[in-house]
Amino acid sequence: MPPPDTTHGDTPAKNATHGDAGAFAQHWRQLCRNPLGLFGLALVVLIVLSAVFADFIVPFDATQVMAGPRLAPPSWDHLMGTDQLGRDVFSRVIMGGQVALLVALSSLAAALSAGLILGLIAGFGPQWLDNGLLLLLDSIRAFPVIIFALAVITLLGPSLATVILVVVITTIPVYARVVRTQTQALSNNEYILAERAMGAGTGRILGVHILPNVIGPLLILASMDVPLIIALEAGLSFLGMGVRPPTPSWGTLLNDGYNYIHNSPWPVIAGGVPIILTTLGFTFLGEALRDIFDPKLRRDL
Amino acid sequence: MKDMKSTTGLSLDRRQFLKAGAASAAGVMAYGLPLSQAIWAAQGKVLRARSYADINKLDPGFYQNAYNVDVMNCIYSKLLHYQPGTQWGTELQAAESVEQVDPTHIRFRLKKGIMFTDGYGEMTAEDAKFSFERIIEHNSPIAGDWGPLDHVEVEDDYTGVIVLKSPFVPLWNITLPYGAGHIVSKKAVLEVTENGGDFGMKPPCFSGPYVLSDWRPNQVVILTRNPEWNGPKPGFDEIHILPIGDPKTAETAYRAGDIDFTHVSLSSLEQIKAEPLPDTALEERPSLYYVYVGMNTDHPKLKDINVRRAVQWAINVPQLLEVGYFGQADVATGMIAPGLVGHRDQALVPPEGDLEKARQYLAEAGAEGLTLHIDVLNESKFTTMAEMLQAQLGQVGITLEIDVQDPGSFWTIGMESEGQRWKDMQLIIQRFSMVPDPYYATTFFTCDQVGEWNWERFCSKRFDKLNAEAVAITDESKRAKMYHEMQDIMENSGAYRFLTHEGAPYIYRESIMTPATRPDGRPLYRFYDVTSA
Repeated sequence: MPPPDTTHGDTPAKNATHGDAGAFAQHWRQLCRNPLGLFGLALVVLIVLSAVFADFIVPFDATQVMAGPRLAPPSWDHLMGTDQLGRDVFSRVIMGGQVALLVALSSLAAALSAGLILGLIAGFGPQWLDNGLLLLLDSIRAFPVIIFALAVITLLGPSLATVILVVVITTIPVYARVVRTQTQALSNNEYILAERAMGAGTGRILGVHILPNVIGPLLILASMDVPLIIALEAGLSFLGMGVRPPTPSWGTLLNDGYNYIHNSPWPVIAGGVPIILTTLGFTFLGEALRDIFDPKLRRDL
Repeated sequence: MKDMKSTTGLSLDRRQFLKAGAASAAGVMAYGLPLSQAIWAAQGKVLRARSYADINKLDPGFYQNAYNVDVMNCIYSKLLHYQPGTQWGTELQAAESVEQVDPTHIRFRLKKGIMFTDGYGEMTAEDAKFSFERIIEHNSPIAGDWGPLDHVEVEDDYTGVIVLKSPFVPLWNITLPYGAGHIVSKKAVLEVTENGGDFGMKPPCFSGPYVLSDWRPNQVVILTRNPEWNGPKPGFDEIHILPIGDPKTAETAYRAGDIDFTHVSLSSLEQIKAEPLPDTALEERPSLYYVYVGMNTDHPKLKDINVRRAVQWAINVPQLLEVGYFGQADVATGMIAPGLVGHRDQALVPPEGDLEKARQYLAEAGAEGLTLHIDVLNESKFTTMAEMLQAQLGQVGITLEIDVQDPGSFWTIGMESEGQRWKDMQLIIQRFSMVPDPYYATTFFTCDQVGEWNWERFCSKRFDKLNAEAVAITDESKRAKMYHEMQDIMENSGAYRFLTHEGAPYIYRESIMTPATRPDGRPLYRFYDVTSA
């Protein structure tokens, strides 16, 4: 027989679930009152849509050499000009967005899942396990990200999968730490203690009470990490350690453009602007979400 | 306010100091000297130049790569050096005279008073004997530079005779005036090594107009005047050589004022000509470099010669050069550049290749749908050419993956001494420097060089025989035919597709220097002169 519900609707998670439709409308209104947040949302939607529908948007195959004259300035045929191989830069920017989002979202999904599980285990498990996991997580965090990335890429070779692996390994400790701290704080709350006293199992406590309360901050944190991950992928690709040619990436666009900047500045501009817009979009949106879902943090800041 | 007193007894207060400063500045401007140049002139004369890679070997007996020899040229002395200018030739350096006594004997007489630093005394014929013979005795990777050297006879303190087992024509073109010709102190080297072997990056002493003052890996090599040097005074007080791998980055560094001499990429040439940089001279020299696509003949995917030939015939060289060099480089017919003995008029595989023929070779090998990978240096011209190559091979159904390598990683890929990576190497875009003798090109592709510099692991007994014999042939036309055949053998192996010899344009600040280079544009820093104001 399952233990009776002892929460009496007084946990934050339960509060949050009251009247989902109403809460959503309230959050939406809050977001509408934040112009930067709205701007960020618009940018994110634009970027996501362009990545999802990239195949329908691009006028040329992004890897097709000599699609036009080399290093041509923007024209009606090539909206952002062409690169040193005569490839259409606009098509490469759009397809590069697909790569950037693929890296960001897939690695975040993997890192969030792993971080969540490890954080819950560390925060709710026995002390020795917590210590062991903390040691492991802190050891990983101690590596400078770029140095770690270069080492892994040297060992495994540059590829999209390697970049994703690097991002996952370096971001897991961040999420695991956040979840662990939240879990430890929550697990000493009276309603959790009461639940335990009533005989609730670990699975129920974690799944019903702790998880809903840690997932919100974690998602906000993740949304603000998206631009960091995109910048990391672009940085590695710029160094020639990211995606393999001819796969388009904003980083390789920047690198190629930089090499020919005195011949034509357009590829650099075309590679740089999406990185800036994506960073701004996700940052503004992330900050707005943080303000909505965690106004206490905003006040503290 | 307390006066500052100079040793001459003149006093200078703050007001006088400002007045003097203003007067000096006015004088400088009236003289027509830009202020930045005047400041530079007031400081030590520093030559800031770019090298395409950082030094990694300063023992001339075991030298690797031309960028190390650029530094060795400044810190050591040798019997002969290449004369700066546009015509190939040599001049006496440490030698008072060098004469060919007979085909196997060369007598030299050293100049008196050339001193080794750090108290190692005067350079003698015994030092020359030691320097030359150690290359053979220790089986140096560049033992080939000394070819059939038997020994050196010392006649007196300054005179010696180089004794060869057989005639060796390249001795005059490459051995004596290039890396292996440098003379080190026997006493000093024996002190720092067990048996006179490789001292690597720690020269025990110097004998050139400069000494190695500081080396910050991957940042800068600093050479300063050798206080014990009593030869012709070099123009600059210091030479700062900055390793910058990518020429495009070097061009940016030049524009930013970080360096005052650099080679520029051919893809930038048109633009630099169209919009000349201020205070900058541009010189274009024909290059001896040879660039090719190499294939590892030992790799399982490339063991079948038909696969290699398919790659050869799928490559359209003019297309590659158009994207890599913006059409500013000519197609090569082999390793040996125009103007040198052994240059071929045409290659066996036509520059444009033939896709149909490539497909036939691939079908014969039963290798349709093949996936290969190519290693390229992380320079824009190579990565761009690799991407074009990817498209070209894609036309015959070969998928090409590109691995971009930084210089440290790239230059050891095929070396057995550096691990097992040579086993994984498949295709490579390779670029080697060259000196004006065909032997210097072919000798790195013998069977002995497999796993050293012969990364394609090409091995032909006929090639080795010709390579050994050609060095003794003084008849140029006969010698040329032998080198033609050698290049034919290389090409017929399917392991090589020759691309270009590039070109060697460089830019420098006219207000600072008058550069001195070999005819192929390679810098001879010790002869660089300061521009007179």
